[in-house]
Amino acid sequence: VRGYPEFMRTAQSYHGRPIFALFCGDKDAEGRSWCPDCVTAEPVVRKELHNLPDQSVFIYCLVGDRAYWKDPNNEFRRNLKLTGVPTLLKYGTPQKLVEEECFKAELVRMLFTED
Amino acid sequence: SVQAHKEEDNPEKTMEVNGLTPVPDSYDYDLIVIGGGSGGLAAAKEAAKYGKKVMVLDFVTPTPQGSSWGLGGTCVNVGCIPKKLMHQAALLGQALQDSRKFGWQFTEEVKHNWMTMTESVQNYIGSLNWGYRVALRDTKVTYENAYGEFVGPHTIKATNKKGIEKLYTAEKFIIATGERPRYLGIPGDKEYCISSDDLFSLPYCPGKTLVVGASYVALECAGFLAGLGLDVTVMVRSILLRGFDQDMANKIGEYMEEHGVNFIREFVPIKVEQVEEGTPGLLKVTAKSTTGDQIIEGEYNTVLLAIGRDPCTRKIGLDKVGVNINEKTGKIPVNDEEQTNVPHIYAVGDILQGKLELTPVAIQAGRLLVRRLYAGATTKCDYVNVPTTVFTPLEYGACGYSEETAVEKFGEENIEVYHSNFWPLEWTVPSRDNNKCYAKIICNIQDNERVIGFHVLGPNAGEVTQGFAAAIKCGLTKEQLDNTIGIHPVCAEV
Repeated sequence: VRGYPEFMRTAQSYHGRPIFALFCGDKDAEGRSWCPDCVTAEPVVRKELHNLPDQSVFIYCLVGDRAYWKDPNNEFRRNLKLTGVPTLLKYGTPQKLVEEECFKAELVRMLFTED
Repeated sequence: SVQAHKEEDNPEKTMEVNGLTPVPDSYDYDLIVIGGGSGGLAAAKEAAKYGKKVMVLDFVTPTPQGSSWGLGGTCVNVGCIPKKLMHQAALLGQALQDSRKFGWQFTEEVKHNWMTMTESVQNYIGSLNWGYRVALRDTKVTYENAYGEFVGPHTIKATNKKGIEKLYTAEKFIIATGERPRYLGIPGDKEYCISSDDLFSLPYCPGKTLVVGASYVALECAGFLAGLGLDVTVMVRSILLRGFDQDMANKIGEYMEEHGVNFIREFVPIKVEQVEEGTPGLLKVTAKSTTGDQIIEGEYNTVLLAIGRDPCTRKIGLDKVGVNINEKTGKIPVNDEEQTNVPHIYAVGDILQGKLELTPVAIQAGRLLVRRLYAGATTKCDYVNVPTTVFTPLEYGACGYSEETAVEKFGEENIEVYHSNFWPLEWTVPSRDNNKCYAKIICNIQDNERVIGFHVLGPNAGEVTQGFAAAIKCGLTKEQLDNTIGIHPVCAEV
């Protein structure tokens, strides 16, 4: 999904199921994100997706371009309390991994598999 | 992780469990820490820094009301953190009242929503629980949410909440199991009363509350509940804040009484009955005087017991490994290196006999212990002149001796007490009390008038006390204090 309204609509449509979301910076025409940490984190996270619990949902969300992200008042910062990209979180809980934490397969696995 | 050992696979382990020699020369872990609170986590993380293989076992036995919580121990979940946040909620309520005098205009009445506050606090605690799990995983410390108990000199049995048991061995152990609230032992206490373990996650507003006890836990909770607008009564058996400077304790009590907290002194509850079910329901408390035969009754929505905390040392198999505990209190005596009578078993935190029950003390003791064990350090934990703060509505910060203890130790003629009332500038405009804030220092005349006790009663007492604690550690004397120019206008300049 792309952008805040689309993210919220999608998350709400899956209400009742565990939702995991990865937030990354937009990608250019060649598919590369302006956010270098997101480029590193994405493959690590994708490799762990098979560990997601049954019935859960994984949402991959592009937040916007660099200028949008840098704005301290953007909706992701304000409403979802995101502090950086990439952020991998379990929606509706305080459990999340931020920036370099997303590079570590062990931590991603812990987020997906443990309570 | 380790599988449960079968007899055929590991005869040595079986022998050990049965109490016979020998000890296997290769353990599962270098160190097992029982208890994932302030002391336990600090020790575990420190040991991991030196490349040791560490396991932390943390398990919360639910309260009689069913409350439980995540990794982090008392401080994070049901102690300092939620307490200070709720204390802050109450202070903000007061600030809103004061703000009108400073020109803020709002016409609606200001009310407090318990659920909003509790949800925010619990959310924050949840992020701390998660943060600890990430930190442990990141430093390769194995964490199991399981109840640990000794079954052999180097073996622990860990039982998780599904009842599955696993055995683990380690070369050394640190016991950091902390404490849980004590109950009165009267009819109705466990069925109807709550403790601080339940209060901070209570899913409904407690309403009219009776707080039983006169500890700092009792007074802090009574204080913020009253500050949030609830009808609060404190039932005290004898004195307030036993162990603290009584001059200061009485001032705290007086302030609370003048600001809406009811006190019932020299009574103890003998029975709690339910009048109505509900969230909250209605309870009837019957109490007896400690000085006569008088019986009184009262009705409250909630009864909060804060009469003391007992160490979790009785059901962790210490008898199986020969670790001595004080049979009466449950506390573990240790030497000045936190070692129990069994050389490879250590202990830190609230469970230690004769040591202060404070998070920073447990953390410091845990870290220094591990550095001595694995990094060749020699520094021991210094338990002297540890500063502390009680977050009652009028905060109290202290470091060093109380006046009574100083008199006892040095003799009345050898100590000099300097004191002063002060009126915080911020309290002047809203016309708040001008004679309640108070500070005193106790000096040892025979030692250059060295400051051996520091006590302050006023806003932000904790912030004020921290700096003075450092000065006292450096050997602050009255003369040096006099020569230090004050910051103006702040309370601390007094």
